[in-house]
Amino acid sequence: MIPSLVIMGVVGIVPLLAAFNYSFFDLFTIREAYWVGDQWYRQIITSSRFYESFGRSVLFSILALTVQVSLGVALARMVARMGPARIFVLMLVALPLVVPWNMIAMMWQSLIDLKSGILGKLFTFSGMVIDYKFNPIHTWILLIVIDTWHWLGLVTILAYAGFTGIPEAYYRAAAIDGASDIAVFRYIEFPKIINALSIAILLRFVDSFMINTEAFAINAGGPQNATTFLSLDLSEDIKGFNYGPAAARSMLSFLIVITVAWLFRIWVDRRSDGDGDIFTGTEKIK
Amino acid sequence: MTRISLSKILMRSGLLCLLAAFILLPLVQTIFLSFIATKAHPEATVGSIGLVNYLNIFKSPVLVASLSNSLTYVILNVVLCLLAGLPAAYAFSRYRFIGDRHILLLLLTFRVTPPVSLSLPIFLLFAEFDLVNSPIGIGLVHCLFNIPIAIWILESFISEIPREFDETAFIDGYSLPRFFLTLLIPALAPGIAVAAFFCFIFSWVEVVFARILTVTAGKPITMAINALFSFQTDIGLVMAMTVFSLIPGIAMIYLVRNYISKGFVVRL
Repeated sequence: MIPSLVIMGVVGIVPLLAAFNYSFFDLFTIREAYWVGDQWYRQIITSSRFYESFGRSVLFSILALTVQVSLGVALARMVARMGPARIFVLMLVALPLVVPWNMIAMMWQSLIDLKSGILGKLFTFSGMVIDYKFNPIHTWILLIVIDTWHWLGLVTILAYAGFTGIPEAYYRAAAIDGASDIAVFRYIEFPKIINALSIAILLRFVDSFMINTEAFAINAGGPQNATTFLSLDLSEDIKGFNYGPAAARSMLSFLIVITVAWLFRIWVDRRSDGDGDIFTGTEKIK
Repeated sequence: MTRISLSKILMRSGLLCLLAAFILLPLVQTIFLSFIATKAHPEATVGSIGLVNYLNIFKSPVLVASLSNSLTYVILNVVLCLLAGLPAAYAFSRYRFIGDRHILLLLLTFRVTPPVSLSLPIFLLFAEFDLVNSPIGIGLVHCLFNIPIAIWILESFISEIPREFDETAFIDGYSLPRFFLTLLIPALAPGIAVAAFFCFIFSWVEVVFARILTVTAGKPITMAINALFSFQTDIGLVMAMTVFSLIPGIAMIYLVRNYISKGFVVRL
């Protein structure tokens, strides 16, 4: 207990407080700081760019989550009903998880490269045009596809873990009742996997909301800021050594993420009221 | 009856083939490019197929050093997370104390904090302690998001072990440390493997902290690849390096495959 709290304190709480502190200063160097109060916050909140980036980040998260969660759950459901081959499918979907983040965008770029990429050649051959540098819709599709490729494994593995916890007897009972496939999913599987799925959704929400590396590498926020997400604004500030505004932006991002995580927690609590409160772990007191 | 299931099987294998194509295509492309000389070298002409890129990795001391840097901080991180996470997970699972659930939620909050927002203060803090440019610093900072993951996974696994298991051991006269070493850890092996797997992948692929904490030296493999990009990038070399960076991860997947496919209980 103690060692983990110490480490978390050093690498987590102290920097967080420091960022909070910096957000009220105009920093030239660390020794020359001027108190500016809430100036950075007011600047950010009143700029239309902030809201546009915010909207894009939200949209991206929603799209990515919808695609990944539905695909991941469907896949996990299929895998859970397979024989020993399930190990290979799980290993397969886990593969993209171990690719370093800054390599992913590059791998996809070379894949769809018109001259040398496998997919790129296929597109040219079939007469399809992909122009992710200048067509915002293509950029968006590419980003979603890449993000799905990268993270489908995580959703699948966690959802699969949920499926394996369902006793065989439940399915037999459903078969006797003549329950339809949809009913089986809605009333037997969904309540059982929501617990495992909730953490996957939470992780995916946060990571997609703060998507940075891929978005920057693919198109640096373009074309015409069509893929400028909140995190790109933030790293721009850091690269420009605008540490004060960067700190203020960090705090705002932090607040947004925490708020959503909190709302999400309340939602999951409501869902699982029959099962005991999963967050407070009341089912553990036996 | 058999007909229906046959068509079902066909559909299923068709879907799986699609999935395999989707997941493997970028990897195939990478491996393919890694064997092609994309830049003129004394030993190979442009476009020829061979091992020239792989040989070039070992000619560059920076690239070789980056392999060991990455391995150092990832292993350090996994060990730290398990050492710190195991007692904490045990405490969360077995004891009830004031604020226990709040602390667990607080820990998870740090997992969901965007790393970019903490990068600047962490850099300043670590500069004070001379931890910049060293794998130790990265290994330490990755605990920020990996300790919560480790605690959360281990806690789920420990809660699966009945309480009587502990109680019997204590009645038999085991002390707490001895119980941990001789009974709990062996019983918990699948959980430790799964936790180590998640810590490993999150630490191995992380780039934000790895970038800001290595300014001039101690670069991990990811940053060494970034540094290869220039006006005339040797894509083949980049791809060969990427293939190298995949090997430990794939080994890790292979090691934990049975534990993951057996399934585990996940609770928040």
